[in-house]
Amino acid sequence: MSTLSVSNITDGTDTVETGYVVNGSAKAWVNMNGTGTIAIRDSLNVASLTDNGTGDYQINISSAMSSSNYYVGESGALNTTTEIRHYDTLTRTTTAVQIQCRDNNGNDFYDTAYAGVSIHGDLA
Amino acid sequence: MSHLWERLLEAKSRLAPVQSKYRVLFENPAEPDAPAAVLVPDPNWMAAALEGNILPPIDTYLRDRDVPDGQPKEHPYAEPIGAMTEEEAIEYLIQKDIPPQVWRDYQGNRSVLKIVPVELIPSDRSFRNAWKINQTEMEMAA
Repeated sequence: MSTLSVSNITDGTDTVETGYVVNGSAKAWVNMNGTGTIAIRDSLNVASLTDNGTGDYQINISSAMSSSNYYVGESGALNTTTEIRHYDTLTRTTTAVQIQCRDNNGNDFYDTAYAGVSIHGDLA
Repeated sequence: MSHLWERLLEAKSRLAPVQSKYRVLFENPAEPDAPAAVLVPDPNWMAAALEGNILPPIDTYLRDRDVPDGQPKEHPYAEPIGAMTEEEAIEYLIQKDIPPQVWRDYQGNRSVLKIVPVELIPSDRSFRNAWKINQTEMEMAA
């Protein structure tokens, strides 16, 4: 793999430091089906998924984060028309993050047909 | 040596994902009331494991568990290992992503970990939070 070493990226009009691009990129992400036979549709830097129970999943990362102070973004939908509004991020280590999917009131757990998780921060 | 994340990124662009035919059922003895958990291998990770020269040795992950937050870890820059079979890759994942009290320390007489074909995991999740590992030889694993 060849390496391009530059400080800035420009389109001729706007210029941005490459540090913003590197730091702003997701270091891990996953798109999964949390219903039926649980499966991962696509991902980056994910080793496995742990199905802990209804609406309760753990994302296991392959290349660890430097600390557990990273950002976790989640989105999900019960089906193609119904959105899950409430996520909790629970156990969080440099190699795993546990998420729980609940209804709008934060009460009942739901398996999520279309769940996405992205992790931003510094790699170890 | 390139960073593990860079190797995974390059592998994702080159290798077709591999959906594993296995799942790992486990019960954590530290949480006796919790339902059985199911470990699902990632297809891109499995492709990297089968390809070889991408993933670090498993013992680097085990040593990194004791490294405090913010301190340098060993596994991102460790020399990658060669190609694994799918069965070896599952054993690797068990050690990496399942707590040691399940696969190493447990001394009870219940089965708390089973590697099963994906067809033996029920697709009906109506009673998901009641799943336990079947302790007898029956058709379904949970």
